[in-house]
Amino acid sequence: MAIRAAELLKSIDVPVLNRVEDHFVGTFVAMASPCTVLVDTDDRAEAEGLLEIAEAEARRIEQKFSRYRRGNLVDRINHSDGRPIEVDEETALLIDYAVTCYEMSDGMFDITSGVLRRVWTFDGRSGVPSESAVYQCLRHVGWWRVAWEKPALRLPTGMEIDFGGIGKEYAVDRAAALIGASTRCSYLVNFGGDLYAARRRRGDRTWGVGIDDPTRTGESALFRLDVATGGVATSGDARRYVRWRGKRLGHILNPKTGWPVVDAPSSVTVIGRTCMEAGTLSTLAYLQGPDARAYLEEQDVQFWIV
Amino acid sequence: MRVQLESGKRSTPLREMLHTAALGLLLVPATAKAGDPTDRIDVTSLLYGEQGRTQVVEPVVRFTHLFADGQSISTQLSIDVITGASPTGALPSGVVQTRTSASGHVITSPAGAIPMAPFHDQRFGFDGEWQKPFARIFTSTVGGHFSREKDYQSLGVNGKLSTDLMNRLVTITIGGGINHDSVFPVGGTPIGLSDGTVVHSGSNSKDVKNVLLGGSRILTRRWMMSVNGSQTFESGYLTEPYKLISLMNPATGAPVGTLTDKRPSTRNRSSVLLSSVYHLSDDILYTSYRYYWDTWSVRSHTIDVKYRRDLDTDSYVEPLVRYYRQSAASFFTIGLPQGAPLPDFATSDYRLGKLQTITIGATYGTRFEDIPGDWTVRAQYMRQFGDSSPPNAIGIQRNFDLAPPVNIVAFVIGYSFGY
Repeated sequence: MAIRAAELLKSIDVPVLNRVEDHFVGTFVAMASPCTVLVDTDDRAEAEGLLEIAEAEARRIEQKFSRYRRGNLVDRINHSDGRPIEVDEETALLIDYAVTCYEMSDGMFDITSGVLRRVWTFDGRSGVPSESAVYQCLRHVGWWRVAWEKPALRLPTGMEIDFGGIGKEYAVDRAAALIGASTRCSYLVNFGGDLYAARRRRGDRTWGVGIDDPTRTGESALFRLDVATGGVATSGDARRYVRWRGKRLGHILNPKTGWPVVDAPSSVTVIGRTCMEAGTLSTLAYLQGPDARAYLEEQDVQFWIV
Repeated sequence: MRVQLESGKRSTPLREMLHTAALGLLLVPATAKAGDPTDRIDVTSLLYGEQGRTQVVEPVVRFTHLFADGQSISTQLSIDVITGASPTGALPSGVVQTRTSASGHVITSPAGAIPMAPFHDQRFGFDGEWQKPFARIFTSTVGGHFSREKDYQSLGVNGKLSTDLMNRLVTITIGGGINHDSVFPVGGTPIGLSDGTVVHSGSNSKDVKNVLLGGSRILTRRWMMSVNGSQTFESGYLTEPYKLISLMNPATGAPVGTLTDKRPSTRNRSSVLLSSVYHLSDDILYTSYRYYWDTWSVRSHTIDVKYRRDLDTDSYVEPLVRYYRQSAASFFTIGLPQGAPLPDFATSDYRLGKLQTITIGATYGTRFEDIPGDWTVRAQYMRQFGDSSPPNAIGIQRNFDLAPPVNIVAFVIGYSFGY
């Protein structure tokens, strides 16, 4: 009973629904991020129901794919000790998506790179790890070392997978799809800054989305985007970085060198047809370092680089 | 090191590939718990020992199946093996005391020692539970249990309904249960407050009805509090057939004989439990306070504090401290003076006397690289203090420690495996 209560406390955050001017704003915390659902309606019960749907989906995905949860599938994969693990259809498709990203980025986007976080601490204060520590870690990084024969995944001992790079965007798109199926209202789902909006608002309006100034997070928005339908995602080093030789090194690591991407922009924001598309493109662009802008210009998408 | 993509050629294909892959993913129906274990086996084994008294070995196996719609069914099988000796309730004699047990063994107690009766028993128990969520905010639970030992049988059913209110901030639970127990002492049931030579055969029944009402509320992201109240009505044969009361010489306090135990045939028990779970940045602090009272005038207070600390992603440690204090039942007595009129009810069972228990312990949970599943080890040390020198002790009884502190140790090893 007590343990259950603790699990509940760990996983639950109080969802709150408020009316703001002409729409409802629901908030909760999941995936270690503030989550917001905007619904363009006057019907509180409807907004409440949609908030509940979004929250349940966010928690389901967090429970299933977070590498911090004991006993879930990712945890079992990461503790499989070289044994093959059979995964379900949803996980298989997510892995396939990650493989597509890996191939399209020539190995720069790699779901096995999370192991590097054992040696890197991005709290703004800590220094950089030793060369040998990074080298030791790199022996456990690289999707090419993994045997993926759908539906069986075999990870060599010492390696880990982490859906952190796509999980939140996936949760946004899924929650948005579920909400879209149960309402005719315009809505926007924002999980920790990655978002998806659908339909034009009443009175032919759009949702206004601010892009944060990466140096002053949460204080002022640099730009305002007007989004009717589509996904928006941002990659950057807003909060998590280390200082090294006068440089800010962001938390996105290059899986080939084991070091943060050098000379990357502070933040890359992309608008895509889905939140996943936007998130993947912004991450892939960020991984290009100083060539982020050129990279995105080739992709024929709307983007902002700060 | 940076990788330069070949420009121009891949741009549209990249977006299209990502988009196609994302759409494929988003079209899969959300399977509620896909990939998570749907079956779970929990095995625990309790080893309990009171210094010089009772020893208990209790292996328990629990199997739980989770259905995709949130329903679950669990069954549990437990076996207790209890051996050792328990205080009969009789007083120290000052001379060697002897007594014949139901099994025909002759036992003796050294002068000044609390007389004990040896026993050996096995209990077998079976529990089942079915949980079903419905209408989004309700969860119903129905369960049943059956257990049997040499001289005791218990059969019961219970039900519970919980509902989540205010966006799951508040949970209200109501429940109840009924139990029908049978007591059939070895060698027959002695007549209460007699010398125990006249017994009647057959079984005695005991009925228990219980209602509970509880509420829990999440106060902040990190803090949850709950209040639970319960009321239990017991009726029937509530006496302990093997317990004894010493008859004392009213002047010297020397035991001159024994009488059997006799308790009222109804007992209403009430309790209120306040508990709090506070989630610190990583650790969890549990505290609870329970107040209990019943129509036999037993009042008790329990304070429980536990602190869970995750050592790493695979292991945790949870130290615990508990303090328990109870007052004696109104008819508790250390002995009865010979010749005086007998009261309606009397017992010398230490469990109904004044009692304090201090418990310290810790739980350690871990996993091993090469074995699936979670392991826990719990160790507890308890020290129980009774009323060593009650004010109504007379004569030589003042010279004896009538309730020497008892040391109790308990170990629990648990293994839990989901698949």
